[in-house]
Amino acid sequence: MADGTTFKIDGRDVVAKPGQTILQAAMDQDIYIPYLCYYPKMKPQGSCRACMVEVEANGRKMMVASCTTPPMPEAEVTTNSEEVEGLRRNVVELLMSEHPHGCLTCHRIELCGPQDICQRHVTVTDRCTICPKNERCELKDTVRAVELDLRTPLNYHRRDLPIHSDDPFYDRDYNLCIVCSRCVRVCDEVRFDTALTLTSRSGVALVGTSHGTSLLESGCEFCGACVDVCPTGSLTERNYKWEKAVSEVATVCTNCPVGCQMIAEVNKFGKVVRFKADLAGAANNGQACMTGKFGYEYTNDSSRLKRPYVREGGILRKATWDEALEKIKSGLGGRSSEELAVITSPRGSNEDQYVAAKFAKSVLKTANIDSALNADNALLSRLEARLGAGAATNPIWDLENSKSLLVVAGNPTEEQNVLAVPAKKAVREGAKLVVIDSRETELTRYATEWLRPKPGSEALLIAGISRVILDEALEDKEFVGSRLDQAEELKQSLWTFDLAKVSRDTGIEDAQIRRAARIFAESDAGAILLGDDGLTDKAAELVVDASIDLAAITGNLGKASGGIFPLYRGANTLGARDMGATPGENGRDIAEMMSGMTSGDVKAALVMADGVSGYSPTLSSLPAALENLDFLVVSAALDSEITHHANVVLPAATYAEQNSSLTNVERRVQLLRITAEPKHEEKTGWETVAAIANAMGGTGFDYATASDVFTEIAQEVSNYSGLNYERLQSGGIQWPVDSSILFSDEASKVTVVALNYDELANSAESGSLTFAPGRVLSQPERDVVVRKPADMNYVDREQFVQVHPDDAKSAGLNEGDVIQVKTDDGHILARGKAVFDSPQVGLVGATTLFGELATKMHELDVADWTPQMPGLGYSTVTLESAPVEQEAGAAAD
Amino acid sequence: MTTAETEQSSKLREQIRQVLNAQAQPTITVLSSLIAVQDSIHYLPDEAIKETATFCGSTINEVWSVASFYTNFRFTEPGDKTLDVCWGPSCHLVGAQQVLDSVHAALEIKEEGESPDGKVTLKYNTCLGACAQGPVIAINHHLIGKQTPESAAKIARELRGQSS
Ligand code: SF4
Ligand code: SF4
Ligand code: SF4
Ligand code: FES
Ligand code: FES
Repeated sequence: MADGTTFKIDGRDVVAKPGQTILQAAMDQDIYIPYLCYYPKMKPQGSCRACMVEVEANGRKMMVASCTTPPMPEAEVTTNSEEVEGLRRNVVELLMSEHPHGCLTCHRIELCGPQDICQRHVTVTDRCTICPKNERCELKDTVRAVELDLRTPLNYHRRDLPIHSDDPFYDRDYNLCIVCSRCVRVCDEVRFDTALTLTSRSGVALVGTSHGTSLLESGCEFCGACVDVCPTGSLTERNYKWEKAVSEVATVCTNCPVGCQMIAEVNKFGKVVRFKADLAGAANNGQACMTGKFGYEYTNDSSRLKRPYVREGGILRKATWDEALEKIKSGLGGRSSEELAVITSPRGSNEDQYVAAKFAKSVLKTANIDSALNADNALLSRLEARLGAGAATNPIWDLENSKSLLVVAGNPTEEQNVLAVPAKKAVREGAKLVVIDSRETELTRYATEWLRPKPGSEALLIAGISRVILDEALEDKEFVGSRLDQAEELKQSLWTFDLAKVSRDTGIEDAQIRRAARIFAESDAGAILLGDDGLTDKAAELVVDASIDLAAITGNLGKASGGIFPLYRGANTLGARDMGATPGENGRDIAEMMSGMTSGDVKAALVMADGVSGYSPTLSSLPAALENLDFLVVSAALDSEITHHANVVLPAATYAEQNSSLTNVERRVQLLRITAEPKHEEKTGWETVAAIANAMGGTGFDYATASDVFTEIAQEVSNYSGLNYERLQSGGIQWPVDSSILFSDEASKVTVVALNYDELANSAESGSLTFAPGRVLSQPERDVVVRKPADMNYVDREQFVQVHPDDAKSAGLNEGDVIQVKTDDGHILARGKAVFDSPQVGLVGATTLFGELATKMHELDVADWTPQMPGLGYSTVTLESAPVEQEAGAAAD
Repeated sequence: MTTAETEQSSKLREQIRQVLNAQAQPTITVLSSLIAVQDSIHYLPDEAIKETATFCGSTINEVWSVASFYTNFRFTEPGDKTLDVCWGPSCHLVGAQQVLDSVHAALEIKEEGESPDGKVTLKYNTCLGACAQGPVIAINHHLIGKQTPESAAKIARELRGQSS
């Protein structure tokens, strides 16, 4: 069985891989057997019977569902006998009795095609033309494959259900549902959200939510997985709902470092009308998230910048590229290197980053270059310094087999969504999850142990865990003995981490630290997901040190399903580092550039602004800082608060208008592919910078294609050597070439570092109040009312603010008071009823529902909304009682 | 949410939590929890679904899938009294349909369910087991036989507190 089973399908020899069913083996061989409830990468369910085949084995014949039946050796499978076809036809006929099928089964189909207007055969309301998925649904393929051709159409029972079009992003029309339950199962067994369910029973069974409530309340994360798998017009994306695609292009999502491979559907006008997750994607395994699935459409926006603009007499006027370049030449030229800055786009390709870095170095001669979302620089630099890569040591989907997971100061279900999918899978299958975070996030709800320390004491807590492991002799002795450098120094330093002290300084009970330590040390493979939310640069570095030490003493480096995964932002932040688009010696990083602009030290800048927004938590001071510049060039796809102060605005091509490469968090170099040529004068990032460089007299910028740039990258950047576009075509390759897990070489050594108690303890904040906002998908223990003032649903529920009794006392507040949480500059972050259940003095919390965020994003009136997704940022705050006229539960702004 | 809504809902939740926690049998499931709640408050309000989800570590949708599977669970508050009208074969032969029509009219409803004032829940029964007494009705499971459209309507009106 190990080598698979040899059998025959319709006389053809077929070998099924171990564990495969007949249907799966057939699909691998491109033999088509109709199927409806089955879907690739989901467990077979065997409920629709559309996949019936005849199997003859050991002299016996039987009819089986091919999606659930493994092949027997030497079996003969028949998919096309009259009997099989008849049976299948009957099955599909029954399914059709509740789905409009006049057009699907009409004998004139070849003549008119259901996309046409029919004069007589089918009642208007039953025609496929009124379905948004007309001519692109899967059901029609199945029906045609089984050759359902009914002279007398079956009676069709219309359910007459209202269409749900009041939730964000996608519509549900259960009149078209064939109850295959793919949506229910993908949400449950792939996404682990269970936001949908089978309802009722027998003849009236359907899919839906509890009490038919809104998705806002049901725990939906708007990942669109259910929409992608639905074989009918029942679940459809609302945008471009009725649009048909003429081509499909495999590309990559540019919203976060997971780098999900996506299929872009393009219509006949070259518009991207849909994004769906690519089942073949190595990084995402067929999954995506709200921003990836629904945030693609800015490329089609009619307000796209079409040509260059130059500022004259205070206003931006249309210009030619030559005029613009002339302006830039004089604006950026003749300045000292300290006055200049280059900010690259978090979505910018490797080619963009490389050419920008080369330009900064060789033409502007400045070390001030950084990628806009490189606010996680401390985290990544420290990882790079210690492990040789500011990236994940293991592939993302390795996580599905991890036996324990430690998540620190990160919110991957929102910020690096698909990375959390295999992590959630591991937990569903029994892995233990330890979360160290002061905020309540989706993952804290899955956690075996949720450690909610004093903000800033995360590193200390991790070191405390390591100490317990040594105390209880739970370390991986073999790994420690053979693979660690400076193990002794680490051990010695850990003896100073007295658990009682750690417990006092982190605010976590020592029993819980012990439990967490045992969970992590006693599992076969433990992975660490490392964020830096709320951490200072110094604290982030210490968290990295403590985590690497922990991973090392438990033998989780160089091991499948172990490793360290940094949770940073920006789709190509890693590529930017690889290409050298990070501060050079004495150069300014993004934060220092902003302060330099404000102080007047930085006077001129080039900003590649695709995906850069002043609404990103780490870039909130950027628009104001840019205002101070003498000269600003912005390359952007859309007008925004970044372009407003520019002297020259250059039109940028989007992800959809270029061939280029990006590198994701697991070091996978993947290709973006062009879906349509730029329609006007837009240029890609590298073309733009190369044009500026040439205008300014730079040499070595004469690239004809992105592939030429990449050839140079492969020569210059050692980790990329051996790579080229040809090799990247089939799904991307991890650098260094062919090393999917770092440190898997038995001879390689991991250097651990001694930890200093006082240093770790001092990085904890003290004295001030910290607001740690939380967000979860669902909280059934709390009341939610879904209101629908017009045609959209809104979540309405009482707000609670978690405070520590001591903090309330010092602020003169009582439990149950309606209070508000205010920042120094007077911004109200939350308002609600005070409850005394904050675990730490100094920690204030409030948890909102993801549904509220989804509605907000859906309603944002900007084309490129994904950079504006508010993260769960920490703030220093004060508490006060809310003005009396505010009703409890009024939404915070 | 208004303050009144919140208060009412949290009272109901408290009551449901007590029922859930009072389950004494060794195996506690979503189903046993739902039955316990329905036994106690006679229906499954939205709060029951949510509290059961929290209690069983499940999700509201999973609980709903179980609850909506069984026809015996009800999701709206029952009337103060139940009125069963038998429409089994024996009663049918002696005029159950006319009895039912007049009860519908008296309760101002067209099918099973609660009268608009919430006082009476009407249920159809396929045989109340007293065929010889047909047409049979039952008030709170107490059988009354030999009904006429007029007598049944009178009883229905009286149950609503209306003078006949
Ligand atoms: S979009 Fe919502 S309902 Fe659909 S699979 Fe994702 S979480 Fe589940
Ligand atoms: S909504 Fe679509 S995927 Fe879900 S059960 Fe119905 S047909 Fe299947
Ligand atoms: S997880 Fe990241 S890469 Fe994947 S779809 Fe979401 S934003 Fe895009
Ligand atoms: S695909 Fe096999 S039973 Fe549905
Ligand atoms: S049929 Fe009415 S009591 Fe039996």
